[in-house]
This record gives sequence, C-alpha cells and structure tokens, in this order.
Amino acid sequence: MASLLTGKVSSGMTQPLPSSVASDLAEIVGHEHVITDPDRLLVYESDGLTAYRRSPRAVVLPSSTEEISAVVGLLHSNGIEVIPRGAGTGLSGGALATPEGVIVGTARMNRILKIDVENRIAIAQPGVINARLTEATNPYGLYYAPDPSSQSTCTLGGNVAENSGGPHCLKYGVTARYVTGLTVVLAGGRIVELGGVGRDPYTTLDLVGLFVGSEGCFGIATEIELRLLPITEGVRTLLGIFESVESAGRAVTKIIASGLMPAAVEIVDGPTIEAVEASVFAAGYPLEAGAALVIEFDGTEAGLDLDADRAEQCCLEEGAIEVQRATDPEHRMKLWRARKKAFGAMGRIAPDLLVQDATVPRTKLPEVLAGIDNIGNRYGLKIANVFHAGDGNLHPNILFDRQNQNELELVERASKEIMQLCVDAGGTITGEHGVGVDKREYMTLVHGPAELEAMAAAKRVFDPASLFNPGKVLPAVEVKEANESRSN
Amino acid sequence: MRVDLTDSLSRLLPGEAFGHSVPSSLWAVLRTGVETVVAPGSTEEVATLLKWASEMGVRVVPIGTGAHMCPRYPRDPFIVLTTSRLKEIQHYEPADLTMTASAGASIRDLSTETAIYGQWLPFDPPDVPNRTLGGLVATGLSGPLWAGYGQLRNHVLGATIVCGDGRALRLGGKVVKNVAGFDILKLMVGSRGELAVITSVTVRLFPLPVVDQLLVLEATDVSELVSTARAVATAPIMPASIILSGTSDGGRLLVRLHGAKVSVEADQKSLEKHTGVSFEVRNTPEAESLLVHKRDSRINAELAVRVWALPSRIGVLLDVLKKVPGVSLNADVYGGSVRAYLPVNLSDIESSLAGLQKDIEELGGTIRALRIPAEVNASSYFAKPLVDEGELAAGLKRAFDPHAVLWGIE
Ligand SMILES: Cc1cc2nc3c(=O)[nH]c(=O)nc-3n(C[C@H](O)[C@H](O)[C@H](O)COP(=O)(O)OP(=O)(O)OC[C@H]3O[C@@H](n4cnc5c(N)ncnc54)[C@H](O)[C@@H]3O)c2cc1C
Ligand SMILES: Cc1cc2nc3c(=O)[nH]c(=O)nc-3n(C[C@H](O)[C@H](O)[C@H](O)COP(=O)(O)OP(=O)(O)OC[C@H]3O[C@@H](n4cnc5c(N)ncnc54)[C@H](O)[C@@H]3O)c2cc1C
Repeated sequence: MASLLTGKVSSGMTQPLPSSVASDLAEIVGHEHVITDPDRLLVYESDGLTAYRRSPRAVVLPSSTEEISAVVGLLHSNGIEVIPRGAGTGLSGGALATPEGVIVGTARMNRILKIDVENRIAIAQPGVINARLTEATNPYGLYYAPDPSSQSTCTLGGNVAENSGGPHCLKYGVTARYVTGLTVVLAGGRIVELGGVGRDPYTTLDLVGLFVGSEGCFGIATEIELRLLPITEGVRTLLGIFESVESAGRAVTKIIASGLMPAAVEIVDGPTIEAVEASVFAAGYPLEAGAALVIEFDGTEAGLDLDADRAEQCCLEEGAIEVQRATDPEHRMKLWRARKKAFGAMGRIAPDLLVQDATVPRTKLPEVLAGIDNIGNRYGLKIANVFHAGDGNLHPNILFDRQNQNELELVERASKEIMQLCVDAGGTITGEHGVGVDKREYMTLVHGPAELEAMAAAKRVFDPASLFNPGKVLPAVEVKEANESRSN
Repeated sequence: MRVDLTDSLSRLLPGEAFGHSVPSSLWAVLRTGVETVVAPGSTEEVATLLKWASEMGVRVVPIGTGAHMCPRYPRDPFIVLTTSRLKEIQHYEPADLTMTASAGASIRDLSTETAIYGQWLPFDPPDVPNRTLGGLVATGLSGPLWAGYGQLRNHVLGATIVCGDGRALRLGGKVVKNVAGFDILKLMVGSRGELAVITSVTVRLFPLPVVDQLLVLEATDVSELVSTARAVATAPIMPASIILSGTSDGGRLLVRLHGAKVSVEADQKSLEKHTGVSFEVRNTPEAESLLVHKRDSRINAELAVRVWALPSRIGVLLDVLKKVPGVSLNADVYGGSVRAYLPVNLSDIESSLAGLQKDIEELGGTIRALRIPAEVNASSYFAKPLVDEGELAAGLKRAFDPHAVLWGIE
C-alpha cells in the first residue's frame, strides 16, 4: 500500500521508455514536447500531495485533441499506461505516475476556443487555468462559477476530472453542474463527443455526468463546454467571530435552516487564525477567537442587506462575539484573507501539512468538529480546520514533521480515525479532492464490494484494458478482481 | 402468465405483491404482452424478483404510475414491476435540506411534507405532482425551473437501485458534496428504467422562495415575443424560469422571479430596463394556475414532440413549428427546447413529422416524439434503446443489466 510513512509508493521501479516509442512520440508532438530527462521529470514526480512521489517514464505535452488521440493510440498499442495531468495541484495523488506509465500533460492545451455570449457557454481546452476563464468572460458580463481555492493555478481539465468545488459552490454547485459537453479521448485514442448544449439531454445516458469526477481513469477530456453565469450585481461579506468552532458550526446550521441562500459560508478555526495572524497575511482577527465564519451573499443588490442582517442575527443568537461587515472591496478582501491564505500561513508553523477532505451532513458539524479536536488531542497532533462549512465539506489539516517517524505514524492513524468519524456521522471520505491513490483504502468505509465492482465495471466500459491512470480510485482488491474478470 | 412461472414467483414474494393493476391507459398501449403486475414491498423484494426474472429469462418493465405511454414495448411476454408499494419517506432532515424517500412516493405527497418546513423540490416537468420520485429520476426531467435551480441530476444525492440481475447497490449518500468514486449515480438519472430499478432516492431540497412572482407579456403572435424572451435569457439577472407559449389564440411570455420581495421588485425593474418592455405582474394564486395550465393543459395530447436546439435558435424553431396548423407550443427559453402539441386530425401525420424533422435538423436541432398515436409508424422519433445508442451506452447497459431483463417503456 502507498504510505505516508515511506514517502514513496512502495511497489515497482520506473521503467525507462523504449527509444522507439520516444521517437514516435516526438514525431507526433515535436521533440521538445517529449520529456525523458530525469532532471526535468522531477517536476512531475508528485502533485499537491507531495507525500507520494514517483518519476514518470516520460511526459508528453500535446497541443490538440488530434495529437492527444495519436499519443494515446501509440502508447496504448504498446501497452503503456497513460496518466493525464493538468497543473498537478491535486491533493489526492491523482496525477501520480505509475511505474509503467507515461504522463500526458495538458499544459500546452491552454486556449479558450469559443465564448458564446448568446448561449452563455464557453468551450475551452483542458489546460486552461480556471481563473482565466472568468477573466476572459468578464468583459461580456459573465463568469465561470466553480472557484476552487487553487483557481489561479489549477486547470479546467483537472476540475472536470475531480469534479472540483470551491467556496461559492454552496450556492452555485460544483463543476458537474457547469459541464455541458466534452470531447474525450478514450482507450486506443478514440475521440468521442459527449453531450453538448443544444442537444436533447434526455435522449441518452448522462455520460458527461459520469465522466466528470472520473479522475483521469476513463480517458482524457480534450475540449470542455462549460456554462457561464451573469456577474451578480452586488455582494455582502460578513465575518463572524466565535468563541468555539462548535458554536460557529451551529450558526452555519441556523443560517442554512433559516431559508437563507448564502453564496459562501466558510469556517476558519482557532489554530488557523493563530497561524494566519502570526504570518505576513495577518488580517487582524482577534487572537483569542475560537473560530471565524466568513459568510457571503451575492445577487440583486436590493435584497442583500436584508439577507446579511438575518445572517448576522443567526450568528449573534449562536453566541458570536462580534460580526463585521465589509464596507468596500478592500475590506472584503481583508475579511477573506485568513480563509484564502490559510494554507500558506500553516506552511510557516509546521514543516508538513496534510490537507484532509471529507463531507458530513451540515447538522453534524458541531459534533464532528468536537470529535476531530478529540482525535488531535489524543494523538498530540495539531489539527487546524479551514473549510466549506455551508456544504458540510471539512478540511481538517494535520500539521506535522515528516522527519519525525513517530509523528508520521500518528498522522496516518489520526487521518483514518477522522475518516471513520465522518462516515459514522453519515458523511463521506471526500467532498472535492477525490480519491486518487491516497484514499483508495478508505473506499471500503463507504462502499460495499458490489458498489465497488459496479464502479470497476463502469471503468471497463471506457477503458477495458485499464490503461488510463490505473491504481487510482478503486481499492487494490477491486482492481485485482477486475483484472481477473478480464482475463476470464 | 404461464402456470409454472406464476407458481415459482408466488413462492418467492408475499401475497401483497400480487393482484395489482396498472392504469388503463398503459394497458391500452401495451395491449398484449403483460403477464402480470408485481408490486414488491422492499428493495429486497425487487432484488428477488429481478434475480428470478434473470434466471427465467423474463423481461421486466418498471413503472411508477405507468402514466408515461410509449408504443415501444417488449415483444416477448413481460412483467410490469410497479413501485406502488414503495411509498414511505425514509429520512427527512429539514435542517440539512435533504430527504430520502422510496421510489413510488408521489411528488405531490413529498411536497406536502416538505412545505411544512418551507422547503421544496424545484422541478416542474409536465404533470410533476403525479409523478413518482423514482419515475422523475428515471426520466431525469427538470422542467423550465432548471434555469434558476440547475438540473435534477445535480440534486440527486443518493439512490438505492437494483440492477437487472438483482444486485442491490447503494449509490452516493446523504451529503451535498461527494466525490468518493466514479459517479454511477449520475448515470441513473435519466436511465429510463433500462439500467436498474430505483427503489429509493435522496434529494437535495431548497427553501421555498419568499416571493414567487410571475411576469407576463402577451402578443397576438408568439414570434413577436422571441426577442424579448431572448433578452430576458441574456439579462444580468437569472430568472427562475422563462417560458414562451404560443397557440392560435396568441403568444405569452412567462418569466418567474424568486426571492425576497425587494429583490424580486428590483429584478423586475432591471429586466424591464434591459428589455425595454413593461410586464404585467401576476401573483399567486393566479400565477400558479397560469403556470400549471401551461405545464399540464395538454395532459391528454396524443401527438406531442419535443424539439431541442441551442437556446439562441428558439426563434427559428418556433417559426418552423408554427407552420403546423392547430399546433400549440410551449418553449423553455433557457434550455432551448420546445414542446409542440400537434392536432391528431392532422391530415398526414407521418409526412408532417418527416417534414418537421428535416427542417429542424437543418437548423441544427433534434426532434423527439413524446406521444404518437399507436397507428402511426413513428418508431424513429422515439429515443433508441440503450443497446442501439452507441458503444458506451450499450456497454453500460451490459454492465448493469447483463441479461437484458429491464425494459424501460420510454
Ligand atoms: C492550495 C490548494 C487549494 C485547493 N483548493 C481546492 C478547492 O477549494 N476545491 C477543490 O475542489 N480542490 C481544491 N484543490 C485541489 C486541486 O486544485 C483540484 O483538485 C484541481 O481540480 C486539480 O486540477 P489540476 O489541473 O491541478 O489537476 P492535476 O492535479 O494535474 O490532476 C488531477 C486529476 O485529474 C486528472 N486530469 C487532469 N487533467 C485531465 C484531463 N484533461 N482529462 C482527464 N483527466 C485529467 C489527473 O489524472 C488527476 O487524476 C486545492 C489544491 C491546492 C494545492
Ligand atoms: C403532454 C405531456 C408530455 C409529456 N412528456 C413527457 C416526456 O417527455 N417524458 C416523460 O418522461 N414524461 C412525460 N410526460 C409525463 C408522463 O406522461 C407521466 O406523467 C409521468 O411519466 C409519470 O411519471 P411516473 O413517475 O409515474 O413514471 P412512469 O410514467 O411510470 O415511468 C416513466 C419512466 O420511468 C421509468 N421508471 C419509473 N419508475 C422507475 C423506477 N422506480 N426505477 C426505474 N425506472 C423507473 C419507466 O420505465 C419509464 O421509462 C408528459 C405528460 C404530458 C401530459
């Protein structure tokens, strides 16, 4: 099993790529876009979850659907596994190379192909950075809603593969809601178009919906059709300061249950506030605060103050020490700062950070947060929570030091207990970061053998020989069974 | 039903599962073929039935009310599986805005319950109150409200299903964000009973809007309203739905605004500024009855088609459809679809449909039959069975229903 303890994936050494394959690849994409030099491959050794590292056999950087199709066709006909990769900001090891695999990166596929203002859709290549789509569509009064906190670096292809969320997905929904059509390259290099605005969505299966969130295991998305939204007229941002994270959690439940529809509700807990205030990102949060709640409303200007008043009332009723309201865009940025800079700030107080991800029913937030606190105390680990509270999507971040072997083991045990706690509360093991290699073994906490086999069967329909991103998502035993059933 | 089969099935399921009937409308369409109607009382009983059917080589058609009619049905004798005994609300946590209910529960009953807590399911396909939750999910239809709320597929959080071979699976969960594994739950939304029988569903609910205001604009001809309708669809605010209807009596644009009173009023002003027209305002209950009328007035239409194209093409689609004498049109301006109800006394239905199809395909659109009189040869206008829908759909059909037991009636 892959393990944080070893810092490496245990099984298998990377195989060098046969030179004939390398030269055939160069023929397709150009010599400079096939990387085999070990030094240059270092960058591709891991994604955002750096605990897992392995150098790929090679990295290929095609520039079009046709090139991807030719590259995949060539690699697959040689029995070589393909690992799709966007910006490598993933937090579950999804883009980690396999010993036999070649990474197909989308860095050169960074063009927005079409902005259709009339129909409010855009068609983009997968390597386009998330935030760029919003920048490009802003002049037309439009924007792209899903806003992962990594949006200034992560790619739309990665977002599709992970079905990524973000703070404002509370009101607007996650990536899947916005993907209306896909061009995908499947096993052997076959190009297939799925869905598309203007096509009757009720005449066949929702293959777009199935592809979204498939973590690079079904094929490569090479063109992505996305729905855009009109820029909202106004915004109100509140910051509620609480004594404890539990009371902040209760305020979240109260706000949502009151019928309000905030655009975002994010929690930053005490340890995170401490870290941020000690850093260059200090936002002036009171140090004694147990938690802060960032609440945002957007929409028609006229209704916003009313909404903000009601949310403020909910906070006060749940014991908020104070509630601030942003008075101008700069002030708004300041209120958001602790949330947005949390990861950076934590990096300064501990050498390593494990960003966990799980979802629980919103009403269970207070008890689950108390449970996480308890787990941290029991293992003597510092856990800082900063997360999408309105969705019940937790990010307990465990601070540790990789050099300390003892602590590493505790981190793994604590992680597993946190997952179990969330599942027992009626939740799940990942809300947005995906399973990748990291959570494969946790899949059995939420799925039985029949469900896992059904997922394996869906993968076999797209990728019968398991040549796309093998060893991800499904637990090892399931993959073994799938292989057996294939050879039968 | 052949005696040996009846015997073996009646030994497997309790007596309450037998002796049921389906609506006469369905019988009329299915005519012969139906061996018996079985109403399982639990997921386990559905699994028992489907396992048995796989072994015996018997086909099964799952239905909710069975109101959805279509002439395409299995030629071999088959069983109708009705969800009429699966009606309970299994779990409702208003503070989480999530509900789990059995597939046979009617949307009307569920809505009565959620309304107590000021919540609802914001979907409005035709006849929605009479649909079952399982049938709604199996057809995947969201209705024009998808403009403001997104599609049904994004709000189905979990489901229990029984695959064609009797495997029961629990998909998704009860939380609003969940990426734990491949999203086979999405596949079930709109699977039309061809992959699995859905036995229960968890959905995300929404707070009922404080104000539900309907803006109306009328004209002698629907085409006069197209540019305003498109302007509304590209305005800086997002209405909950935008419906354009046209009959020989004239055209009507219906724009639905949801929100607090002040914001709805402001939205109306901003729409009026953007479009340069002033709307008439209808409040509930008048608005409600107008909307329900538009949605359901053709409930017994025998000849109905759905046309789909890019939303920006709605005007040209309407121009084509308008030419059919006696036609009644209902367009979802945001989605880009038009339901057209055609008179059955149309002189030559087959050639009229063929003509429409040609014109619409030239505009980059598609036409699809919803209801066609049984005597008309129109199978090409209906959705194809999954096995004929391309390799991926066929492969998924084999994965979920390996013995091809299930036969959706759409
Ligand atoms: C600081 C930070 C904050 C973050 N915040 C959020 C957040 O708020 N919400 C959230 O959801 N995530 C968040 N993430 C996680 C990450 O940014 C997302 O998962 C993102 O979508 C990954 O995009 P990427 O381009 O970096 O993909 P990669 O990491 O390169 O790849 C991710 C997965 O997608 C596959 N893939 C990539 N491109 C394609 C393609 N074209 N076709 C098929 N498969 C493909 C890969 O094989 C891999 O399995 C955060 C990460 C960081 C480092
Ligand atoms: C003018 C007009 C147009 C209409 N257009 C459409 C249309 O385009 N599409 C449409 O679907 N309805 C349409 N309807 C509505 C339709 O006639 C019924 O009102 C509706 O289908 C009833 O829903 P039900 O839940 O009883 O499902 P049923 O009618 O019993 O079944 C609908 C479909 O879902 C499947 N199904 C039902 N329950 C399950 C389950 N538990 N598991 C798996 N599969 C299941 C069935 O096999 C069938 O394919 C229209 C109605 C009118 C009046």
